Amino acid sequence: MASAFCYYPKKVNFINQDPEEEIILLLRKHPITNVGWILTAIGLAILPAFLSVFPFFEALPFGFRIISTIVWYMIVFAFVLEEYLSWFFNVNIITDERIIEIDFLNLIYRELTDADIDNIEDVTVKVGGGIRTFANFGDVEIQTAAEIVQITFEAVPRPDVVTKVLRELRVEEEQERLEGRVR
Amino acid sequence: MNIPEVLETGVMSVLNIAVLAFLVLYVLFAVVVIKQVKLMSETLELELDQYIEIASYIHLTFAILVLILALIIL
Repeated sequence: MASAFCYYPKKVNFINQDPEEEIILLLRKHPITNVGWILTAIGLAILPAFLSVFPFFEALPFGFRIISTIVWYMIVFAFVLEEYLSWFFNVNIITDERIIEIDFLNLIYRELTDADIDNIEDVTVKVGGGIRTFANFGDVEIQTAAEIVQITFEAVPRPDVVTKVLRELRVEEEQERLEGRVR
Repeated sequence: MNIPEVLETGVMSVLNIAVLAFLVLYVLFAVVVIKQVKLMSETLELELDQYIEIASYIHLTFAILVLILALIIL
C-alpha cells in the first residue's frame, strides 16, 4: 500500500468520504522524487565516520562522543521520518464523484481540496525533462469551474492514464446527468 | 585548577547542557510526530497506518531512553 499508483485501492478511506463513494485512483508523487532526500540521508548517515579525522573530536570525553553521535543519528532519523511521512500521506485521490488533493504542509497543518467531476473543465498533462520522460511521470493540471479553479496532481506516475480515467469519468457523469441519474 | 582546565570544564558544561536541551526538544518533537501521524491517519485511512503509528511510539520511547542515557552519562 506504499505504491504511487493504486488503481481501485483496497482498505483505503479518507475524511468526508460519502458512504457510496468509490475510490478509483490513489496517487502519490513518483518514487523517483524521493531519491534526493534518500541520498542526502545516506550522506548525513556516513558523515560521523569522518569525524575521527578531526583531532578535537577525539579529545572530547568518551561519553559525550557517544551521546553526540546518537543525537546526530536521531536528527538523520527525524529528517527521514518527516520526508517519508510527507511522501506517504500527501496524496491525490480520484473517486467516481470527485477529485481530492490532500496536502500536509508541515507537522500539523492539513490542506484538503476537492472538486466534483462535473466541475472539471480542462485537464493538462505536463511531462518535461529527461528523468520525467524516462520514468513516465509528470504534473496533471485540472482546471475546474469550482471556487478553487485549479488542482494540480504533482509528479504523479503515468499521467496519461490519469487523464484517460478522468476523461472516462467525465463522460460517465455527463451520461448520468443526461439520464437523470445524478447522485 | 589552572585556567585551561577551568575553560575546558566550562566549555564541556555548556556542550552538555546544549545536548540535554536538544534531547528534551527531541522528545517534544517525537510527541508532535505521534499527533501528526494520528492527524494524517484520520484524514487518510490506509493499511500501513497502524505500523506507522507503532513506529511513531517506538520513536518516542527511543527518544526518552536516549535522554535518560544522556542524563546518566553526561
